Amino acid sequence: MTSSPNDHDQMHPERVIELRLPSRLGYEKIAMDAATSLARRMGFHEDRINALRTALAEAVTNAIEHGNAHDSAMRVLVMLTVRPDELIVSVADQGRNLLDPDKTLVTPSIEESFTKADKGGWGIWLIRELVDEVEFSTGPGGGNQVRMVIHLEK
Amino acid sequence: MDTQSPSIDLTIPSELGYEKIAREAVAAFARRFGFDHERIEDLKTALGEVCINAIEHGNACVPGLRVLVHCECGNDRLTVEVHDRGVKQYLAHGPSARIEQKVFGSAPLRGMGLMLISQLVDDVGFSHNPEGGNICRFSLERQQIHANGTRE
Repeated sequence: MTSSPNDHDQMHPERVIELRLPSRLGYEKIAMDAATSLARRMGFHEDRINALRTALAEAVTNAIEHGNAHDSAMRVLVMLTVRPDELIVSVADQGRNLLDPDKTLVTPSIEESFTKADKGGWGIWLIRELVDEVEFSTGPGGGNQVRMVIHLEK
Repeated sequence: MDTQSPSIDLTIPSELGYEKIAREAVAAFARRFGFDHERIEDLKTALGEVCINAIEHGNACVPGLRVLVHCECGNDRLTVEVHDRGVKQYLAHGPSARIEQKVFGSAPLRGMGLMLISQLVDDVGFSHNPEGGNICRFSLERQQIHANGTRE
Protein backbone atom coordinates (compact mmCIF):
# COMPACT_ATOMS: atom_id res chain seq x y z
CA MET A 1 0.00 0.00 0.00
CA THR A 2 1.36 3.40 -0.90
CA SER A 3 1.13 6.35 1.49
CA SER A 4 -0.35 9.69 0.50
CA PRO A 5 0.76 13.12 1.79
CA ASN A 6 -2.24 13.02 4.18
CA ASP A 7 -1.08 9.72 5.64
CA HIS A 8 2.32 11.29 6.15
CA ASP A 9 0.74 14.23 8.03
CA GLN A 10 -1.03 11.90 10.40
CA MET A 11 2.10 9.89 11.10
CA HIS A 12 4.34 12.95 11.48
CA PRO A 13 2.27 15.82 12.89
CA GLU A 14 5.44 17.74 13.83
CA ARG A 15 6.90 20.34 11.52
CA VAL A 16 10.63 21.02 11.88
CA ILE A 17 12.68 23.97 10.73
CA GLU A 18 16.48 23.68 10.88
CA LEU A 19 18.81 26.63 10.85
CA ARG A 20 22.61 26.39 10.75
CA LEU A 21 24.56 29.48 11.72
CA PRO A 22 28.26 30.38 11.91
CA SER A 23 29.66 30.92 15.39
CA ARG A 24 29.83 34.69 15.24
CA LEU A 25 28.10 37.03 17.62
CA GLY A 26 25.23 38.78 15.89
CA TYR A 27 24.00 35.67 14.06
CA GLU A 28 21.69 34.93 17.00
CA LYS A 29 19.43 37.64 15.55
CA ILE A 30 18.71 35.43 12.54
CA ALA A 31 17.51 32.66 14.82
CA MET A 32 15.46 35.17 16.84
CA ASP A 33 13.69 36.52 13.75
CA ALA A 34 13.00 33.05 12.35
CA ALA A 35 11.57 31.87 15.67
CA THR A 36 9.47 35.03 15.98
CA SER A 37 7.94 34.49 12.57
CA LEU A 38 7.12 30.89 13.43
CA ALA A 39 5.71 31.70 16.88
CA ARG A 40 3.44 34.39 15.35
CA ARG A 41 2.24 31.88 12.78
CA MET A 42 1.39 29.50 15.66
CA GLY A 43 -0.59 32.18 17.49
CA PHE A 44 1.63 32.95 20.49
CA HIS A 45 1.04 36.25 22.29
CA GLU A 46 3.65 38.99 21.81
CA ASP A 47 4.89 38.78 25.42
CA ARG A 48 5.56 35.05 25.00
CA ILE A 49 7.33 35.75 21.72
CA ASN A 50 9.53 38.35 23.40
CA ALA A 51 10.36 35.85 26.15
CA LEU A 52 11.25 33.26 23.52
CA ARG A 53 13.43 35.76 21.62
CA THR A 54 15.42 36.54 24.76
CA ALA A 55 15.81 32.89 25.78
CA LEU A 56 16.88 31.90 22.27
CA ALA A 57 19.36 34.79 22.06
CA GLU A 58 20.94 33.62 25.33
CA ALA A 59 21.11 29.99 24.17
CA VAL A 60 22.66 30.82 20.78
CA THR A 61 25.08 33.32 22.32
CA ASN A 62 26.20 30.67 24.82
CA ALA A 63 26.70 28.21 21.95
CA ILE A 64 28.77 30.73 19.98
CA GLU A 65 30.85 32.05 22.89
CA HIS A 66 31.32 28.98 25.06
CA GLY A 67 30.35 25.78 23.19
CA ASN A 68 32.06 26.73 19.93
CA ALA A 69 34.57 29.18 21.44
CA HIS A 70 33.93 31.81 18.72
CA ASP A 71 35.30 29.48 16.01
CA SER A 72 33.30 30.77 13.03
CA ALA A 73 33.90 27.55 11.11
CA MET A 74 31.88 25.73 13.76
CA ARG A 75 28.14 25.80 13.32
CA VAL A 76 25.28 26.32 15.70
CA LEU A 77 22.22 24.23 14.88
CA VAL A 78 18.84 25.66 15.84
CA MET A 79 15.84 23.36 15.43
CA LEU A 80 12.32 24.70 15.73
CA THR A 81 9.73 21.95 16.14
CA VAL A 82 6.07 22.83 15.80
CA ARG A 83 3.56 20.74 17.69
CA PRO A 84 -0.16 21.45 17.93
CA ASP A 85 0.16 22.78 21.49
CA GLU A 86 3.80 23.81 21.88
CA LEU A 87 6.95 25.05 20.20
CA ILE A 88 10.20 23.24 20.92
CA VAL A 89 13.43 25.12 20.30
CA SER A 90 16.67 23.19 20.40
CA VAL A 91 20.11 24.79 20.18
CA ALA A 92 23.18 22.59 19.68
CA ASP A 93 26.84 23.47 19.35
CA GLN A 94 29.90 21.39 18.42
CA GLY A 95 31.21 21.23 21.95
CA ARG A 96 34.69 22.69 21.96
CA ASN A 97 33.88 23.53 25.59
CA LEU A 98 31.40 21.35 27.42
CA LEU A 99 29.00 22.87 29.92
CA ASP A 100 29.41 21.80 33.53
CA PRO A 101 25.98 20.31 34.41
CA ASP A 102 26.20 21.87 37.90
CA LYS A 103 26.22 25.33 36.32
CA THR A 104 22.78 24.72 34.84
CA LEU A 105 21.28 24.58 38.33
CA VAL A 106 22.87 27.67 39.85
CA THR A 107 20.79 30.74 40.67
CA PRO A 108 23.11 33.75 40.44
CA SER A 109 23.06 36.44 43.11
CA ILE A 110 22.42 40.02 42.12
CA GLU A 111 24.30 41.21 45.23
CA GLU A 112 27.40 39.26 44.20
CA SER A 113 27.17 40.61 40.67
CA PHE A 114 27.47 44.17 42.00
CA THR A 115 30.81 43.34 43.57
CA LYS A 116 32.25 41.13 40.78
CA ALA A 117 34.02 42.46 37.71
CA ASP A 118 32.47 39.69 35.57
CA LYS A 119 28.75 40.41 35.34
CA GLY A 120 28.05 37.30 33.22
CA GLY A 121 26.50 34.02 34.25
CA TRP A 122 22.86 35.05 34.00
CA GLY A 123 22.00 33.43 30.68
CA ILE A 124 21.00 29.98 31.89
CA TRP A 125 19.00 31.40 34.79
CA LEU A 126 17.24 33.75 32.38
CA ILE A 127 16.37 30.90 30.01
CA ARG A 128 14.87 28.95 32.92
CA GLU A 129 12.76 31.94 33.90
CA LEU A 130 11.47 32.63 30.39
CA VAL A 131 10.43 29.26 28.97
CA ASP A 132 8.05 26.58 30.27
CA GLU A 133 10.51 23.69 30.08
CA VAL A 134 14.26 23.55 29.65
CA GLU A 135 16.72 20.69 29.48
CA PHE A 136 20.49 20.76 29.08
CA SER A 137 22.12 17.69 27.59
CA THR A 138 24.81 16.41 25.25
CA GLY A 139 23.69 16.43 21.61
CA PRO A 140 24.07 13.54 19.14
CA GLY A 141 27.28 15.14 17.82
CA GLY A 142 28.83 15.32 21.30
CA GLY A 143 28.32 19.05 21.82
CA ASN A 144 26.09 20.93 24.20
CA GLN A 145 22.38 20.98 23.56
CA VAL A 146 19.65 23.02 25.19
CA ARG A 147 16.02 22.13 24.57
CA MET A 148 13.44 24.78 25.41
CA VAL A 149 9.67 24.43 25.22
CA ILE A 150 6.95 27.06 25.28
CA HIS A 151 3.34 25.99 25.56
CA LEU A 152 0.61 27.48 23.47
CA GLU A 153 -2.17 28.82 25.70
CA LYS A 154 -5.51 28.46 23.94
CA MET B 1 29.37 28.75 -4.04
CA ASP B 2 32.20 30.43 -2.16
CA THR B 3 32.58 28.48 1.06
CA GLN B 4 34.70 31.26 2.60
CA SER B 5 31.85 33.78 2.58
CA PRO B 6 29.66 33.96 5.67
CA SER B 7 26.64 31.75 5.12
CA ILE B 8 23.57 30.29 6.73
CA ASP B 9 21.51 27.22 5.87
CA LEU B 10 17.85 26.70 6.56
CA THR B 11 15.49 23.84 5.83
CA ILE B 12 11.71 24.05 5.96
CA PRO B 13 8.88 21.57 5.43
CA SER B 14 7.06 21.67 2.11
CA GLU B 15 3.96 23.36 3.43
CA LEU B 16 2.73 26.74 2.29
CA GLY B 17 3.28 29.39 4.95
CA TYR B 18 6.70 28.13 6.04
CA GLU B 19 8.32 30.27 3.36
CA LYS B 20 7.64 33.20 5.69
CA ILE B 21 10.14 31.84 8.20
CA ALA B 22 12.77 31.58 5.47
CA ARG B 23 12.00 35.15 4.40
CA GLU B 24 12.55 36.49 7.92
CA ALA B 25 15.75 34.52 8.48
CA VAL B 26 17.30 35.65 5.20
CA ALA B 27 16.14 39.24 5.77
CA ALA B 28 17.95 39.25 9.13
CA PHE B 29 21.06 37.88 7.39
CA ALA B 30 20.91 40.65 4.74
CA ARG B 31 20.37 43.33 7.40
CA ARG B 32 23.59 42.19 9.03
CA PHE B 33 25.47 43.04 5.83
CA GLY B 34 23.99 46.50 5.48
CA PHE B 35 21.34 45.89 2.82
CA ASP B 36 18.75 48.64 3.04
CA HIS B 37 15.03 48.21 3.67
CA GLU B 38 14.05 48.39 0.00
CA ARG B 39 16.57 45.75 -1.10
CA ILE B 40 15.51 43.53 1.76
CA GLU B 41 11.85 43.80 0.71
CA ASP B 42 12.91 42.78 -2.84
CA LEU B 43 14.83 39.86 -1.37
CA LYS B 44 11.91 38.73 0.80
CA THR B 45 9.43 38.85 -2.08
CA ALA B 46 11.77 36.98 -4.44
CA LEU B 47 12.62 34.35 -1.84
CA GLY B 48 8.95 33.87 -0.98
CA GLU B 49 8.14 33.20 -4.63
CA VAL B 50 11.05 30.80 -5.09
CA CYS B 51 10.16 28.88 -1.93
CA ILE B 52 6.51 28.63 -2.96
CA ASN B 53 7.60 27.21 -6.33
CA ALA B 54 9.81 24.69 -4.52
CA ILE B 55 7.04 23.72 -2.11
CA GLU B 56 4.21 23.53 -4.65
CA HIS B 57 6.01 22.23 -7.71
CA GLY B 58 9.43 20.85 -6.82
CA ASN B 59 8.21 19.01 -3.73
CA ALA B 60 4.52 18.73 -4.69
CA CYS B 61 3.47 19.93 -1.20
CA VAL B 62 4.68 16.71 0.46
CA PRO B 63 5.56 18.01 3.98
CA GLY B 64 8.15 15.29 4.57
CA LEU B 65 10.22 16.61 1.67
CA ARG B 66 12.41 19.52 2.66
CA VAL B 67 13.21 22.79 0.98
CA LEU B 68 16.82 23.86 1.60
CA VAL B 69 17.77 27.52 1.54
CA HIS B 70 21.47 28.42 1.45
CA CYS B 71 22.39 32.07 1.72
CA GLU B 72 25.80 33.70 1.61
CA CYS B 73 27.18 37.19 1.28
CA GLY B 74 30.50 38.33 -0.17
CA ASN B 75 31.78 41.35 -2.08
CA ASP B 76 28.55 43.31 -1.61
CA ARG B 77 26.54 40.52 -3.24
CA LEU B 78 24.07 38.29 -1.49
CA THR B 79 23.44 34.94 -3.15
CA VAL B 80 20.62 32.54 -2.32
CA GLU B 81 20.15 28.96 -3.47
CA VAL B 82 16.85 27.14 -2.98
CA HIS B 83 16.91 23.37 -3.43
CA ASP B 84 13.92 21.07 -3.70
CA ARG B 85 13.64 17.33 -4.30
CA GLY B 86 12.44 17.58 -7.88
CA VAL B 87 9.17 15.65 -7.66
CA LYS B 88 8.32 17.88 -10.60
CA GLN B 89 10.90 19.67 -12.71
CA TYR B 90 10.45 23.31 -13.50
CA LEU B 91 8.73 23.29 -16.84
CA ALA B 92 9.77 25.95 -19.28
CA HIS B 93 12.38 28.59 -18.95
CA GLY B 94 11.11 30.18 -22.16
CA PRO B 95 9.14 33.41 -22.47
CA SER B 96 6.34 33.75 -19.97
CA ALA B 97 2.90 35.05 -20.86
CA ARG B 98 2.45 38.80 -21.08
CA ILE B 99 0.37 40.59 -18.48
CA GLU B 100 -2.20 41.52 -21.18
CA GLN B 101 -2.73 37.83 -21.98
CA LYS B 102 -3.39 37.11 -18.32
CA VAL B 103 -5.78 40.06 -17.92
CA PHE B 104 -7.80 39.07 -21.00
CA GLY B 105 -7.92 35.39 -20.06
CA SER B 106 -5.80 33.95 -22.89
CA ALA B 107 -3.17 32.82 -20.37
CA PRO B 108 -3.58 31.47 -16.82
CA LEU B 109 -3.53 34.07 -14.03
CA ARG B 110 -0.91 32.11 -12.19
CA GLY B 111 2.71 31.87 -13.27
CA MET B 112 3.71 35.42 -12.43
CA GLY B 113 6.30 34.31 -9.90
CA LEU B 114 9.26 33.90 -12.22
CA MET B 115 8.51 37.20 -13.94
CA LEU B 116 8.38 38.91 -10.57
CA ILE B 117 11.60 37.32 -9.32
CA SER B 118 13.52 38.40 -12.43
CA GLN B 119 12.40 42.00 -11.87
CA LEU B 120 13.46 42.07 -8.22
CA VAL B 121 16.89 40.48 -8.25
CA ASP B 122 20.05 41.16 -10.26
CA ASP B 123 20.58 37.61 -11.44
CA VAL B 124 18.47 34.44 -11.41
CA GLY B 125 18.93 30.99 -12.86
CA PHE B 126 17.58 27.46 -12.57
CA SER B 127 19.43 24.18 -12.74
CA HIS B 128 18.98 20.53 -11.93
CA ASN B 129 20.86 19.08 -9.01
CA PRO B 130 22.89 16.04 -10.18
CA GLU B 131 21.84 14.37 -6.92
CA GLY B 132 18.20 15.03 -7.81
CA GLY B 133 15.96 18.06 -7.56
CA ASN B 134 15.77 21.61 -8.81
CA ILE B 135 17.99 24.47 -7.76
CA CYS B 136 17.04 28.12 -8.10
CA ARG B 137 19.94 30.49 -7.58
CA PHE B 138 19.56 34.23 -7.42
CA SER B 139 21.63 37.12 -6.23
CA LEU B 140 21.30 40.78 -5.33
CA GLU B 141 23.91 43.49 -5.16
CA ARG B 142 23.78 45.65 -2.06
CA GLN B 143 22.83 48.53 -4.34
CA GLN B 144 20.26 47.88 -7.04
CA ILE B 145 21.61 47.88 -10.60
CA HIS B 146 19.27 49.60 -13.06
CA ALA B 147 18.82 48.64 -16.71
CA ASN B 148 21.09 51.52 -17.77
CA GLY B 149 23.86 50.20 -15.51
CA THR B 150 23.53 52.87 -12.83
CA ARG B 151 23.37 51.98 -9.17
CA GLU B 152 21.04 53.40 -6.59
